[in-house]
Amino acid sequence: MNPNESDASQLRPATADRRGEQDLDDLLVHVARGDQAAFEALYDRMVGPVYGVIRRVLRDPSQSEEVAQEVLLEVWRTATRFDPAIGGAATWVLTIAHRRAIDRVRSTIAAAGREQKTAKVSPPHDEVVEAVEASLDRERVRRCLETLTEIQRESITLAYYGGHSYREVAELLHVGLGAIKTRIRDGLIRMRDCLGVS
Amino acid sequence: MRLFRQDLHTLTGAYALDALDQGGEQARFARHLDSCQSCASEVRGFREVATAMAFAASTEPPAELRDRVLADVARTRQLPPEVRTHARARRAPGTATRTPRAPWLPWLSGVVATAAIVVAVVFGVANAHTHSQLTAAQAHNRALAAAQASLQAELDQARAHDQVLAEILGAPHARLLSQVTTKGGVADVVLDAATGRLVVATSGLPALPPGKVYQLWLIGPVRIVSVGLLPSAQSGVTRPVVATGIVKGDKLGLTVEPAPGTKQPTTTPIIALPLPV
Repeated sequence: MNPNESDASQLRPATADRRGEQDLDDLLVHVARGDQAAFEALYDRMVGPVYGVIRRVLRDPSQSEEVAQEVLLEVWRTATRFDPAIGGAATWVLTIAHRRAIDRVRSTIAAAGREQKTAKVSPPHDEVVEAVEASLDRERVRRCLETLTEIQRESITLAYYGGHSYREVAELLHVGLGAIKTRIRDGLIRMRDCLGVS
Repeated sequence: MRLFRQDLHTLTGAYALDALDQGGEQARFARHLDSCQSCASEVRGFREVATAMAFAASTEPPAELRDRVLADVARTRQLPPEVRTHARARRAPGTATRTPRAPWLPWLSGVVATAAIVVAVVFGVANAHTHSQLTAAQAHNRALAAAQASLQAELDQARAHDQVLAEILGAPHARLLSQVTTKGGVADVVLDAATGRLVVATSGLPALPPGKVYQLWLIGPVRIVSVGLLPSAQSGVTRPVVATGIVKGDKLGLTVEPAPGTKQPTTTPIIALPLPV
């Protein structure tokens, strides 16, 4: 997948773009003061993962674009409430993005009727255009996912990329609810250690 | 459904991936985080894993998106920064009980908030619907026009960012209480008895002379606790104030006090609303 695989693990900082995280926090602080140029810089840094994660969950490009637009506007509007002491700007932005995508999934399902609830399994896939700079992140995450058990890996990707609730994941994988909760948590602990998240 | 602490703790993973049921379960766990420091820090770490997974999924959107977002930004006012006005919500910076979401609480504007209470009552409480069901219901209700669309946007934002307010407004068994004050005007309360919390907003209260403030209290049989000052009204309507820790026998009181408020009430309450919890 990536010819520079061996380099990637050595050169890549511990969490996604950690080297730039301080800047990102600063940018968001400036955005909070109404600085549109700072917002543009933040946009350029964050739009890839924002759109990417929404697209993974929703699949539909035009819906994804719509939700991404809402999310980015929300980042602008609510930047005033960002507190760097609590967590990084990237995590703040991406939590909003993922949650909005999930909201869209759940409300669409509710509108379309409950029978469609578990109709689709959405394993992660690479059909979308890949940004070159994302390939190292991708590789790092892929390697860490590989260290998990199959159930751990599937439950995490179905939940995060697939946008499924843990109950739906349990259904899809034919595993009990209690076990799924534990698998997701254990898997995330391993991922956290593998990625070097503090 | 009753969950034991042990079970709750294992939900950190599902919560961090937004994989809990959006009805009561997610709200319940969010509350649990307030009192479970180890859970909160675990969730923080897991969210960083999620962040890495999002970066790994990076995809360039169509270039037009940038122009559209920047055009939106150019005509959208930002929320004011959070100014904590009530003593109970105040927490020292960096204390362990803060959750990752706490600093992002926006306040709805008073008018919208009061309208939100009404909508929450009509859709959320009377029909015991959750906010997500409300979203779906509204998506299909063509009769609800543009005004409600913006209200929905505010509600969505309340849900995403003001977890506490949204939780109370969306609580399945929340009750709407209302009382006219002895000085005129009315206080509307949405009470979530299950968690001992409420949201209160007022409208039409007489303006006070300089140096006087309205102060909210929880008046119990054995103690009286200040909830904080009533924010100043905009167009006669005050922004919602959240009160927590309500116990059996408490009444919601409102008094006129000398600025900047007092430790215990010094005047006769103009409201003493019994809170059935």
